[in-house]
Amino acid sequence: MKKSPTYLSDSRPKFEPYEIDCGTIPAYRYKGNLATELKAKHLTGTEAVAILEDMLIIRELEEMIVKLRSGAYEPIRDYNYRGPTHVSVGQEGTAAGACAALQLADNITSTHRGHGESLAKGTVAIRQMEEAQLRQRVPQFKTGGREELVEAALEEHVYRTICELFGKDDGYCRGRGGSMHIADFTVGHLGANAIVGGGVPIATGAALSNRYLQRGNVVCCFAGDGAYANGVVLESLNFAAQAQFTNHLADGLKGGLPIIFLVCNNHYGMTHRSDDEVMGVDRMARRAAGFANNNMHAEVVNGMNVLAVREAVLRAAKLCREGKGPVLLDVDCYRYWGHSLSDPRNEYRTKDEEAAWKAIDPIESYKAELINAGVTDTAGIAAVEKRVAERNARAAKRAATAADPAAEDVLTFMYTDTRCETVPAEFANPSLIGSLPEIKRVNGELTYKDALKEALVQEMARDKRVIFYGEDVADYGGAFKVTKGLMEAFGRSRVFNTPISEACICGTACGAAMNGLRPVAELMYFDFALMSSDQISNQAAKWHYMSGAQTEVPLVIRASAGAGKGYGGQHSQTLESMFCHIPGLYVVYPATPYDAKGMLKSAIRDNNPVLFVESQALYGMKGVVPEGEYLVPLGVADVKREGSDITLVAWGPVVHDCLKAADKLKAERGVSAEVIDLRSLVPLDLDTVLRSVQKTGRCVVASQAVHIGSYTGEIASTIQEKVFDYLDAPVKRVGARNGIAPQSHILEAAFLPNVNDILTAANAIL
Amino acid sequence: MATPIIMPKFGQMTEESAIVEWCKKEGEPVAKGDILFTVETDKSVMEVESFEEGTLLKIVVAPGKNVPVQSTVGFLGKPGEPVPEATVTPTVNPAAKTAPLAPPVAPPAAARGPAVAAVPILAPAPVAVPTAASAPSRFRISPRAAALARNCVIDPARIPGSGPGGRVVEKDVKAYLESRGYAHLRVTPTAKQLASKEKLDLLAITGTGESGRVTLADVERVIAERPKPMSRMRQVIAQRLTQSVVTAPHFFVTVEVDMTDLVALRAELKQKGAPYTVTDFISQAVVLTLKEFPDVNSSTDGKSIRWNSRVHLGLAVSLEQGLVVPVIRDADELSLAELNLRSRELAEKARAMKLTPDEMAGGTFTISNMGMLDVENFTAIINTGEAAILAVSSTMQKPVVRDNRVVVRSIMKMTLSSDHRLIDGAMAARFVNGIRQKLENMELWKLLTA
Repeated sequence: MKKSPTYLSDSRPKFEPYEIDCGTIPAYRYKGNLATELKAKHLTGTEAVAILEDMLIIRELEEMIVKLRSGAYEPIRDYNYRGPTHVSVGQEGTAAGACAALQLADNITSTHRGHGESLAKGTVAIRQMEEAQLRQRVPQFKTGGREELVEAALEEHVYRTICELFGKDDGYCRGRGGSMHIADFTVGHLGANAIVGGGVPIATGAALSNRYLQRGNVVCCFAGDGAYANGVVLESLNFAAQAQFTNHLADGLKGGLPIIFLVCNNHYGMTHRSDDEVMGVDRMARRAAGFANNNMHAEVVNGMNVLAVREAVLRAAKLCREGKGPVLLDVDCYRYWGHSLSDPRNEYRTKDEEAAWKAIDPIESYKAELINAGVTDTAGIAAVEKRVAERNARAAKRAATAADPAAEDVLTFMYTDTRCETVPAEFANPSLIGSLPEIKRVNGELTYKDALKEALVQEMARDKRVIFYGEDVADYGGAFKVTKGLMEAFGRSRVFNTPISEACICGTACGAAMNGLRPVAELMYFDFALMSSDQISNQAAKWHYMSGAQTEVPLVIRASAGAGKGYGGQHSQTLESMFCHIPGLYVVYPATPYDAKGMLKSAIRDNNPVLFVESQALYGMKGVVPEGEYLVPLGVADVKREGSDITLVAWGPVVHDCLKAADKLKAERGVSAEVIDLRSLVPLDLDTVLRSVQKTGRCVVASQAVHIGSYTGEIASTIQEKVFDYLDAPVKRVGARNGIAPQSHILEAAFLPNVNDILTAANAIL
Repeated sequence: MATPIIMPKFGQMTEESAIVEWCKKEGEPVAKGDILFTVETDKSVMEVESFEEGTLLKIVVAPGKNVPVQSTVGFLGKPGEPVPEATVTPTVNPAAKTAPLAPPVAPPAAARGPAVAAVPILAPAPVAVPTAASAPSRFRISPRAAALARNCVIDPARIPGSGPGGRVVEKDVKAYLESRGYAHLRVTPTAKQLASKEKLDLLAITGTGESGRVTLADVERVIAERPKPMSRMRQVIAQRLTQSVVTAPHFFVTVEVDMTDLVALRAELKQKGAPYTVTDFISQAVVLTLKEFPDVNSSTDGKSIRWNSRVHLGLAVSLEQGLVVPVIRDADELSLAELNLRSRELAEKARAMKLTPDEMAGGTFTISNMGMLDVENFTAIINTGEAAILAVSSTMQKPVVRDNRVVVRSIMKMTLSSDHRLIDGAMAARFVNGIRQKLENMELWKLLTA
């Protein structure tokens, strides 16, 4: 047994006057040049030329995009490019310099303007690969030595990048992602992100995973200056810098998150000016001072100097690997084109400004360095330029005529059908910090919340990759004491409190899931899911599809639904219908202790993201729950009671109202009602519902959600669509009134659906 | 751009028409003046010619469907030219449509209440859904009950419904089947298949097969007896004549005309090559008599009387499909020979269903001649808008008294139907006798045929 992770805060009031010292943040401290780097053997001549080549590849590709729009790219003059034109020309020094400082297994996340980072992470990684890895990338390439193999892999890299831009089946994401969602998980690229700031919590979660699995890998999170005004980005900075990762609470895993927040500060968020207009700080680097006493080792870096960027990222990565992360780098660079090609730029900046930045172009100035340092001459540079242009042209020509994805495959990669059947040996049955919490059984019965706890305990004991976090879930055991005792058993590295940052809780869990863990995150109230809806809906739900199935997102978000407690409009909502509308998510809602345990275990082992809805009204409900291992499959409805005259379909607490209504119908009218608990809304077990309605000819669909837009409507309409000829009456729906949950007990009782509402609906069609 | 082909407005009162047949296929070249399609209007089938040269790009309105006049029925243009989305929308004010001719299926708009959204979208207060009691009675049946009835090949329309709003539900159909002894019904498979296809009610078919089995022949007999929709022409006949009988109080005056001399004169003229028919003589006699009795050549709306200064003479023509009345305009201006020519033309067009609406409108007096049909006497119904109609029967050899002797003469009965609002008995008697006298006056005919 290791040291107990429990601790009690024991501070004292202290009001002596003093001054907070925010320290200093260095700017442009790089004093070197290529000659000094070579001399100090920080770099070889070959590596120095490779850096130029990486920058040229980026510029060549982005200039191709610009030219394609006017039919001016000679190799594929007639190609009709459909897609975004968010080019980063001018920022190559930042992308190439940062990636040159990363190792093959290090991760990056990127942005909607992310061609540069995606290309550079790939080219750098290819040169770092062993021969076997290279052969895996270009299996069609049989002969030749390493040099030829690298060349083939580079061309394949450019080809697959252009294919993705063109939406081709050979693209990195099989044409599902495109320019703004390009990813290559084989080189640690976890994805560009078209939601500004949306990738930052994913990077933070990936760093959490790297730290937890002690991989020694760093995440370099590229995001623009515009993103640093976005809530989830600020949440992520705070999340990454939490004291509990580095102080006595961290225990065996001491060390900050290995993440570099690299601000690609091109001074414009789309078109607005970060300087002097929408921000109150002169440098984005100041952001770091708000989140960590050490200012996150922040620096301002000259992004027009590729060597300065490389040097800064090398030092930042070293800090991260030493457990001193996170690090924030404010990299000062410039975007020559507008937000996209439809942006004329003259509405917000001067030509003189552009000319001044172009005069210090990162590629041109680096060419001069190469010549000055004697690495190569004008002819040598021209040869590199020619090689890059020709290689890109060959790749573009191939990409233009490459196969499109088949139209019938439009939904391929929506969900994965895999789950964790067996735990890899390295993660199986991890050691415990303390004893497992005692779960009291009376006559074989457990409460709903203890059933959930038992599921979590069993799954965490089974698989080291299962971690659990959320607001107040550790020492306190959660607002509803569902997880009391987990932290003591599994330690703070696996069960920890988070700041009140719902978007970041879900986003980091998504990132961790995409990078090797199987996290369970808790939303204290379902209502708070609206704060994290981007991370649930645009990120967790979409990455399996958008990456062309390169990644899976084995994530469970537990959301606790209120209602009936007089908590008012912001703590009482039943919102699963909204998330059923988001393809890519699973949405489940158990109604009994037995299902709570069996389904949570299934959800944790599933490789799809699962929104797991729980009902606070049911937490205290008791039922028989076998102690041992069992799973309730997702997507299978449960016929609670068989009947022949009417079908009552429901989920959540309303299932129990339906059972009571069925009793009354039997007693008062001799009507035999069949009651179906859907349990799982996505995937939906339509078959069981339709077969029942075919038998009975009548149906009431009930849930606790407000009537308008409720998933009950989806089910009712599907019934009439599929089995219309079996209906003996219109399908009825029961839900809460179309209103806002009120505090008043009288009003709330009038607001929520009850047994009488179900009876009224049933009697109207019997 | 493709040129739309428009459904012409054939008569002033025509509001909708149906295409009988397209004479060109999609993609077929069309020369200027080519017939594009034929149209059934109230009384005839019209040919529609193309104004332009081109290719028939698209047929929008299929044959058999009534569409408002001046709506787009197709497109003409160059091959491959894009064709705009055309929907058949009324170009006339729908309120102006003549309701009586519409098939009696659409309930008033209020009856559709239950079908519109009953779920309040914005209003927080509950929205009143029309209750079963307030909605007009409409046959309601659940899909499940309908499916059972369909599978059993029975008509559920008379089954009493026990569901909400009187809806027939499955158990009602089951009870009905039991009460009607459906389980004992014997039907041959082919009979059931045909009855199902034709949507018949097996319980309403008397079986004549072995021990009462319903056979294919039984089903075929029922199909033959089934009411069929009236043609447009018959509907118009029904509507107009009913209107006349209801609004115009008819009375009848019959006279016998001695046609012996006129028949002889006609035979004589025919030998000389003159093509006059008995109808021509009657028409001429009527026109001349109308000049003497302007009251008979008039019309009324029940409040005022209008004398018509011209005689537009209607001649009822019997066709296989029904009855049409082409009108000889300005008959009072025409000679006997011209009357003969014009009536022949119109009769031919009528038989070919090619009369234009204007050729059938505006009559002031009508003759209905059944002389060739071997009838003793009959009465006719006045065409709405006219004051009287003359029903002419067959000329028959009859014993009559002349100069105190019984002789055989060719006698023809004529019955005048008069609208009593305009014409009294005495006038009718004088008028019809005026016609008779002219027909019996050989001096007149010798003069007119000279």
